[in-house]
Amino acid sequence: MIRLGNPQLRIFRPNWFLTLVRPGKEQPPDTVQFRIPMEMTKCDVKNYLEKIYNVPVGAVRTRIQFGSNKKRNHLNQKVKQPDYKVAYVQLAQGQTFTFPDIFPEKERMPTEGSMEEMQEKFMEDEKQRQKLDPRRGGVTEWFGL
Amino acid sequence: MFPILGKKKYSPTIKMAASSSAGRVLTLCKQFQNVFRISSSINTQHCSTTLIKYQPRLYREKSPLAALSWYSPASSVGQCRALHTTINRRGLEEFFDLPENWGETNVKSGAPWTAKQLRTKSNEDLHKLWYVLLKEKNLLLTLEQEARRQRVQMPSPERSRKVERSMIRLETVVKERETALRLLQTGQEKARPGAWRRNVFGYVYWYRFKEYAIPWHMNRRYKRKRFFTPKFVQPHIRLRIEKHLREKARKATLEKKTQSKLKEKFPRVKVSAS
Repeated sequence: MIRLGNPQLRIFRPNWFLTLVRPGKEQPPDTVQFRIPMEMTKCDVKNYLEKIYNVPVGAVRTRIQFGSNKKRNHLNQKVKQPDYKVAYVQLAQGQTFTFPDIFPEKERMPTEGSMEEMQEKFMEDEKQRQKLDPRRGGVTEWFGL
Repeated sequence: MFPILGKKKYSPTIKMAASSSAGRVLTLCKQFQNVFRISSSINTQHCSTTLIKYQPRLYREKSPLAALSWYSPASSVGQCRALHTTINRRGLEEFFDLPENWGETNVKSGAPWTAKQLRTKSNEDLHKLWYVLLKEKNLLLTLEQEARRQRVQMPSPERSRKVERSMIRLETVVKERETALRLLQTGQEKARPGAWRRNVFGYVYWYRFKEYAIPWHMNRRYKRKRFFTPKFVQPHIRLRIEKHLREKARKATLEKKTQSKLKEKFPRVKVSAS
């Protein structure tokens, strides 16, 4: 039991991995949401972030998310989604955190001689063929002679 | 390339300078920074500029214990300069890749660590490397989850497997060293005490001891677990043994038949005596 004064277990090479996730519901600006392994406690999360990441942690709240057992596969057997623990960590010292946009749209120029370039050229040709006659003002063949 | 006298430093990514091109190529590194040597003052000046240039990109590659100066001169070359690195103040940013790599479809990474390479490292180095790999794994996990959320493919997923394998190999190397030390100091082969015990079904297995707050004779749940085989289980054990022997005999005869058939079809093929 983790209490002040009780002997604390020292782990030398922790085998616990935290996943920072984007919050599904709106969270206050200083709250960071993590998915943590089931064996971790609030004190463990606090120590982990403070020692390894040097992040000042104020409060930690955890809950266990039940993974659904409702879906069935092609053999009509129930398929269980794994359960996971979620930790809401509030940063100390008034720091705020917003989850960044990790997949921004980037202008990608396809490299020379690669499949992508050939595919893009092909797609462009196809689109060109699909377009209607510009001399007739882009109007369908139904009209006119 | 500017050789700089440097202390070895671990990072999951390789660097750099050698392969620097305009873009940043972060590759999973297995070697740490090489030892360069400063030959002349001109070079040192040049070095400083290159270092400053690479600083922002390299902070990512610093080990978490970056309080150690990265380029501390360690040799007797007179012209070396002591260079100080910044302490790693990026807290939650370490859960994400460098901003230049956001949105890329391929992020380059090097080879995973092999056990042979890890065995050459000291214990402190392995300890630091474990944390470097841990942070890298956290980064990749957050990336994977975010990619699933945004319904986009994760860039270069093989990195997770490389990091996983490196960590497993590190663990094995550390365990080897610990067993060696334990054998020399105490003569115990296993770290966790255990015993051979027979369970209710007649199987003999290695039971690993668990820590309890109370002695076994006061532990009701432990006493319900019987470590002996009752007499009425003997017939079932006998039937099990018979089944096992029958299966073995069947396999042997099948093997013999296939070999004889092959011998019939291909009489001149030499079969190795196994």
